[in-house]
Amino acid sequence: MTLYEKIMALYPSLIDIDFLTTIRLQNDSDGRGDYIASWEHPTLARPTEEQLNAN
Amino acid sequence: MSMVINGSGTITGLSAGGLPSATVTQATLATPIAGTGPAFSAYQSIPQTPATGTWTKLTFTTKDFDTNSNFASSTFTPTVAGYYQVNAQAQVGATSSSISVSIYKNGAAYKSGTYIVTSASYNASIASILVYCNGTTDYIDAYVYIGTSGALNAAQFSASMVRSA
Repeated sequence: MTLYEKIMALYPSLIDIDFLTTIRLQNDSDGRGDYIASWEHPTLARPTEEQLNAN
Repeated sequence: MSMVINGSGTITGLSAGGLPSATVTQATLATPIAGTGPAFSAYQSIPQTPATGTWTKLTFTTKDFDTNSNFASSTFTPTVAGYYQVNAQAQVGATSSSISVSIYKNGAAYKSGTYIVTSASYNASIASILVYCNGTTDYIDAYVYIGTSGALNAAQFSASMVRSA
């Protein structure tokens, strides 16, 4: 399950444009994988590692 | 020496030998000229498959040219201070719902290119910007975002110095 899929499982109301504006998931192609580069969503809280790994 | 035409039509400032030379050389131009500043062009010969909804650094496996050896590990780190025209482009098929490319400076998003909702077999996002690099620590990357994971059809990245600092 990718980071994107974990977040969508937690917040299914998110849409494509959210990941272009207020939420930025990033992968630097350096082998370290995906991570949350920034989270500025106005209503949804940044998920914790525990929440992400619960899915 | 400047050539001046006064109100009565008299021309002053000409050299004793006649009109100034019309030959344009680097030495006769002002100093902030790109001249032989760094330039590179690279493309993706191995298709990359970014994850859905994730800004992913584009990796470029083949270089067309790299005049100053400033492009390595898909990152452009120019060693001459100045202003650079930077271009990035990535393309996906219709199976990916959207695509956008972005130019990163020093690891952070700097300017985004076009956002394309895919509708055809080939859908390309393009970013074309002018960016200042200090010639020592500044570096430039290209990232891509796709709405639904899928292999890129193509990706290109290039930059050229257009004005020295």
